Amino acid sequence: MTDELDYYAILGVPRNASVEDIRRAYREAALRLHPDKNEGPDATELFLQVNKAYEVLSDRETRTAYDEELQSFEAEQLSKASFKATVVQSRRRLLSLDEPQVHYLLVDIEPSEGLPEARPAINLAVVIDRSTSMRGQRLDQLRTATLKILQRMNRGDNTSVVAFSDKAEVVVSPEQSRDISVARARLSLLQAGGGTEIGQGLRMGLDEIARNFSRAGVNHLILLTDGRTYGDENECIELADRSSLKGITIHGVGIGNDWSDRLLDDIATRTGGSVAFLDSPHAIVQVMEDIFEGLGRTVASRLRLEGSVAQQVDLRSSFRLLPEPMPMGDSLPMNLGHLPKDGLVRVLLEMVIHPIGKISELTLAHFTVDGDILGQGVTGVALPVQVKIPVSDEPDAEPPPEQITSALSQISLYRMQEKARHEAELGQSAQAARRLENLATQLLASGQRDLARAALSEADRLSHSRRLSSEGEKVLKYGTRALMLPARTGES
Amino acid sequence: MIECPSCKHQEFVGTLYCSECGTRLVHTAPIGPTGQMFEVDTVDTADSSAPTGRGLAAGAIFGLRVVATGDMVSLVGRDNYTLGRAAGSQAIVPDVDLDTYGAQDQGISRLHAEIRLDESGMHVVDLDSVNGTLVNGKRLEPQEPAPLHHKDIIQLGHLKLQVVSRIRK
Repeated sequence: MTDELDYYAILGVPRNASVEDIRRAYREAALRLHPDKNEGPDATELFLQVNKAYEVLSDRETRTAYDEELQSFEAEQLSKASFKATVVQSRRRLLSLDEPQVHYLLVDIEPSEGLPEARPAINLAVVIDRSTSMRGQRLDQLRTATLKILQRMNRGDNTSVVAFSDKAEVVVSPEQSRDISVARARLSLLQAGGGTEIGQGLRMGLDEIARNFSRAGVNHLILLTDGRTYGDENECIELADRSSLKGITIHGVGIGNDWSDRLLDDIATRTGGSVAFLDSPHAIVQVMEDIFEGLGRTVASRLRLEGSVAQQVDLRSSFRLLPEPMPMGDSLPMNLGHLPKDGLVRVLLEMVIHPIGKISELTLAHFTVDGDILGQGVTGVALPVQVKIPVSDEPDAEPPPEQITSALSQISLYRMQEKARHEAELGQSAQAARRLENLATQLLASGQRDLARAALSEADRLSHSRRLSSEGEKVLKYGTRALMLPARTGES
Repeated sequence: MIECPSCKHQEFVGTLYCSECGTRLVHTAPIGPTGQMFEVDTVDTADSSAPTGRGLAAGAIFGLRVVATGDMVSLVGRDNYTLGRAAGSQAIVPDVDLDTYGAQDQGISRLHAEIRLDESGMHVVDLDSVNGTLVNGKRLEPQEPAPLHHKDIIQLGHLKLQVVSRIRK
């Protein structure tokens, strides 16, 4: 964190919030974080921060003084921030309207100059589902993949392997993982059997990472499963939130058709991770190696987009497009995960702007980009980002920037798939089928024949059985999500 | 609110893709008070050929619909548009790149045709393309402007595009 706290962000209120809004936000936060109720590890500190924030912002005099202080602090930070951010907007000016309008921001985050070249230390937990359904090829491939990763570890890395069914155990400890023959022997003892309780595995995996937590490195958990967790979804979400506070990223890997994609997505989104879908166990080795290789290329981690949007603005949705596409929800702060060497983190934010009437300019948001540059042993300097836009009666005749339209064209496909699935679940199968046919048309137009075929076959299934197949749901979801990668959108 | 030309779903001003059918939205101006629908079918074709260049009249919707896919290609903010296909290394880039619609297989030249807007109306000009340009099935002479109207079909090689030109009343 920074020396100067953004009290507005802590309370989750815009910088132009009224005293009444600040009071309301304080009451809500104080109730939520009160030490009597909340036992989270950092709850007490957060509670104190919220109190301090309210104390400063509720008094007009201290607030004015603080605003000045914050401004000069942010101006100073701009020059020494660890990151730089580029914001592209879908329009160059908003319309002064008495009705809501939509506006998009594309935020690119890069490290500033002078980064370390060295590969960061990797602190990893591989959490393996060993329920009965994993028997055979799935577990075999996982053993091979895990061993390959262990062979590529550097001195200074830590890897634990945790297996879970309805209870969890450490199969290979970081000490054992340094001796490949011991690790191999330990992995061969791993047998399939029992149910699936993801919460058990997550908890133990997170404990393992926390024990060797590395400020100077990446802290990452890979969760591999092929089944639905048994009754502990809420616990999984709590663990994910705790993990995000600690700065541990969770990467979900779902094998086959019977795992809960929504749960894995939710866990990954909260921690800045991502999710891979494997329809065949043969892909496991490659995917695990790619994940490990990606961790080695990380130059900054625990990246967060914080701050607040203006009172007239609602964040409707957001997508991380790079380095890995992932829906990011509609609230700040947002965990964005790792930033790769020679790469960037790109996020698209969709905002609804409420009637703004006759003003000449609107400050859409005060963001802060925070994170740690790895290998320096110091925490990063946060970057303040202020986004403004002129408002006028004349519409912007310029077409929106190409980066934004191409990203949105892919996102709109992803959305159609989500909507069709939602409709199918509500029993509106005719509507869902029609939407999938529309989706297939759009997919064909962008040259995605296989995905278009999958959409059509699901549309067909809907009209016969009134349900989507669980395979089709995943093929369409992760297929359209993968389209957001820049190689496919034709952008450099 | 603005309205999707394809499925008539209403969206907030500024939306770029219809949330119902995924069509690219080209509007720049709101359609008026919420709830007031723009009746497409009542728009008279003759009346609709009105767009005149850069400063399109308020409420004018102008674009090309790819017949095979139903996609709308927006034409906003200029008074002429070249149609063609961007080839990787080539320096010539058309204003409207039809590569997404399999332009090469459809026999579209790099600079195939041009659409012009002025006070006298809309015109399309074939730019000496290899496979020619047709309007409503009639082949155009190269470099000879031919008038365009709402719902006309322009064929570039094998790719058919329908002119969408409407004025809200």
